[in-house]
Amino acid sequence: MRALPALLPLAALALLVALPAAMTSPYALHLMILLFLAITQGESWNVLGGYTGQYSVGHAAWFGIGAYVTMMLLQFHHVAPWWGMWPAVAAAAASSLVVGSITFRLRGPYFVLASIAVAEIFRLVALNWKDVTNGAEGILMSDLPPLQVAGHVLTDFTSKVPFYYAGLALAVLTIAVNWAVHHSKLGYYFQAIREDQDAAHSLGIALTFYKNVALAISALFTACSGAFYALYVGFIDPATVLSTEVSVQFVLISIIGGIGTIAGPVVGALVIVPLSEALRANLLSDVIFGLHLVDETSPAGLFLKDNLAHAHALIYGILMVVVILFMPEGVLGFARGLLARRRRGHAPPVAEGSA
Amino acid sequence: MATTPILEIRHVSRFFGGLAANSDVSFSMEEKMIMGLIGPNGAGKTTLFNCITGFYPPSRGEVLFDGHRINGLAPDKVCKLGMARTWQKVRPLAKMTVLDNVMVGALARTNRLSEAAELAMRQLRHVRLDHKARSLAGGLPIGERKKLEVARVLATQPRLLLLDEVMGGLNPAESEEIIQLILDTKRSGVTQMVIEHDMKAIMRISDRIVVLNSGEKLAEGLPREIVANPEVVAAYLGESAE
Amino acid sequence: MPIFLQSVVSGVLVGGVYALIGIGLTLIFGVMRVINFAHGELLMVGMYLTYYAFTLLGVDPFLSVLLVAPVMFLLGVLLQRVLIQRVLSALPQNQILLTIGLGLILSNTVMLIFTSDYKILSTSYSSGSVMLAGLSVSKPLFFSFLITAAITAALYAFLIKTDVGQAIRATAQDREAAQLMGVNVRRMGLLAFGLGTALAGTAGALISPTYYIFPQVGGAFTLKAFVIVVLGGMGSVIGATLGGLVIGTVESLAAVYVSSGLKELFVYLLFLFVLLVKPSGLLGKSRM
Repeated sequence: MRALPALLPLAALALLVALPAAMTSPYALHLMILLFLAITQGESWNVLGGYTGQYSVGHAAWFGIGAYVTMMLLQFHHVAPWWGMWPAVAAAAASSLVVGSITFRLRGPYFVLASIAVAEIFRLVALNWKDVTNGAEGILMSDLPPLQVAGHVLTDFTSKVPFYYAGLALAVLTIAVNWAVHHSKLGYYFQAIREDQDAAHSLGIALTFYKNVALAISALFTACSGAFYALYVGFIDPATVLSTEVSVQFVLISIIGGIGTIAGPVVGALVIVPLSEALRANLLSDVIFGLHLVDETSPAGLFLKDNLAHAHALIYGILMVVVILFMPEGVLGFARGLLARRRRGHAPPVAEGSA
Repeated sequence: MATTPILEIRHVSRFFGGLAANSDVSFSMEEKMIMGLIGPNGAGKTTLFNCITGFYPPSRGEVLFDGHRINGLAPDKVCKLGMARTWQKVRPLAKMTVLDNVMVGALARTNRLSEAAELAMRQLRHVRLDHKARSLAGGLPIGERKKLEVARVLATQPRLLLLDEVMGGLNPAESEEIIQLILDTKRSGVTQMVIEHDMKAIMRISDRIVVLNSGEKLAEGLPREIVANPEVVAAYLGESAE
Repeated sequence: MPIFLQSVVSGVLVGGVYALIGIGLTLIFGVMRVINFAHGELLMVGMYLTYYAFTLLGVDPFLSVLLVAPVMFLLGVLLQRVLIQRVLSALPQNQILLTIGLGLILSNTVMLIFTSDYKILSTSYSSGSVMLAGLSVSKPLFFSFLITAAITAALYAFLIKTDVGQAIRATAQDREAAQLMGVNVRRMGLLAFGLGTALAGTAGALISPTYYIFPQVGGAFTLKAFVIVVLGGMGSVIGATLGGLVIGTVESLAAVYVSSGLKELFVYLLFLFVLLVKPSGLLGKSRM
């Protein structure tokens, strides 16, 4: 990040803060909110997966806890979400410590498997504990209480703008957390664990302890994103917040951009969100028809029209395969590699911006 | 004047399934000495290192550091107590810079990044790798990787340093550099145990030598005694003893 | 008591098919150290092949094993050649991510082509039963068990008696040593993934008369396959066989005595338990 002058992110932030004044289209705001959500998800996962190298494909567990606890407190106990999210986040962090203590004994792919199993266990519990979670029916939010400060109503959440700013704040927060981790003893220890666990151990690093710290931080912010999602969308069920697809999305956002970097998840979000939305909004099929690549009325055309919108998970799968095969270091790593090759010479590869 | 030996290995055995990788090994080390640990391949030298530093506990026997039993203590705690080791197959933290690597070591003794960076640079200057501070550790040639590992482990400020074939794969000039580093480290008051196949080097630097063969301690003594010991020579038949 | 015996017997019969799935997975891991998370999806593909062979060509599902196995074998070889081979030297975490992606591609492609409608393959004997030592046993389960036993026996013979089989085992035990001995490890990889896929597809064919057929059916089987393999020891064919029988029985008993809805939960908990307590499995690691 040292290559970018410190001004650039600040300018970007100022722009983003000012944007809703200029951009009033609800759909555009919606897209930005999705972007912020994806960035938050990616940065949260990155603390564990990118820095310590423990790839959790079960982050839906923490997302789900954040969503469910907040929603249940709101719907069933009328606790306003700005209070309700704290127990949600605490629950996620606490249970992550329990899960971590158990699963961090496993390494590499075995940890991946265990993380998947844990998330599935959470999903099955949510599905079957109907008295508490409504099971497969899910929970529908009736209304968000208006946000009041000293008797003044700040917003009643009918417009998307408050969600925009909340989402932006979350995204900035998680980026800041990543930055802080990167530039602290934690960051060094996390990366050492990723690079070589046994060497790290022998250098005085308590493996399970530090992995747990990474997971707790990661789970905490993941739960925030879950709470945010629940309040924004207004409906949750086990299939939408506790599924493997959610977990895969968490991984993809970081992997596409570049694992273990601060900017990586941002890049990943910038790839995934427009892509999913283009699919969902039939933009992609419109383009294909517009360019006359396929005749809209032909069987192929009708097929595309019906199905491209549901090709979400398929695209995730393809993206995953493509990235692992051709760009395991993500877009950023790929770009860095290109630059290094262009700088070709006898100088050994130089890292950007550490210590 | 009897002082507590810094390290005591008492009747240590380590079994893997039915195989005895270490069998009833006993010796002790005084502060500031250099102990050479030699023996043919498979004699159990690295296994002993692993037992001492907590990667697995001894199946039998005791390891005492400064008189305190440390059997089964986790490797990170062993490091914090003041015992550190290097690896037979060198283990750089590849995607981190040379400086960051050594800082990881230094962070065992301080929580402040600035202090760690200072300590790290000092170690890098000491091993003459400071010009490579910003290079990625994974890109270094083997000689520099070995020096990096030594710098990193010295940054943890050990009282006892275990070096596992730190000269393996090095050319004579590089080996000589390592030997000087080892002697320097001795001068700074650190006790060392050195596993090595390079006989000339071991003879030069060791105050005493322990010979392992098939998991058992075959002999212990001064370098000139060991070299003249017919059993030791026999154990190495089939291996070229330099 | 009869209920208990009944569920044990059903469990063992289902366990036979589970064993096939587990053996396929463990072969792939044993030879290449790759954790194939798409294994359940390969089973699903086998189910669809069998379904259409039945509805379009009238081929009995048990007979269609003769068709499905070779086709799946070729698919496996193709996947190995195009995808898996390229990540053999990548981080194991990346390998598993690749297979997760592959699984998503398989299940969602099938969903796009065939929709997520549940399909049912009913044969004349689908609900029939056979009397076995005084217990009533599902006919299709019984036949599939017989076929599974035959296939497993043939596989053992292949691995132990033939040159190729021994080459596979050598590669699984020590890849470098096998290479030095002249084994073409690349070909062993193709064979292993081909065989593993064929076994998964065959398992799919065998259970198609008794399970709903839909694109996401693979997921549950993947995790189950992993429990089996971890229980029996990653890389051990005998272990996978035993593991399959054990899991089949445990699941059957759990469904009867606990709850059908929670039986999956049980399996996942067992999985975590085994991973933690005895990660090298009941029979130790890497011995085929």
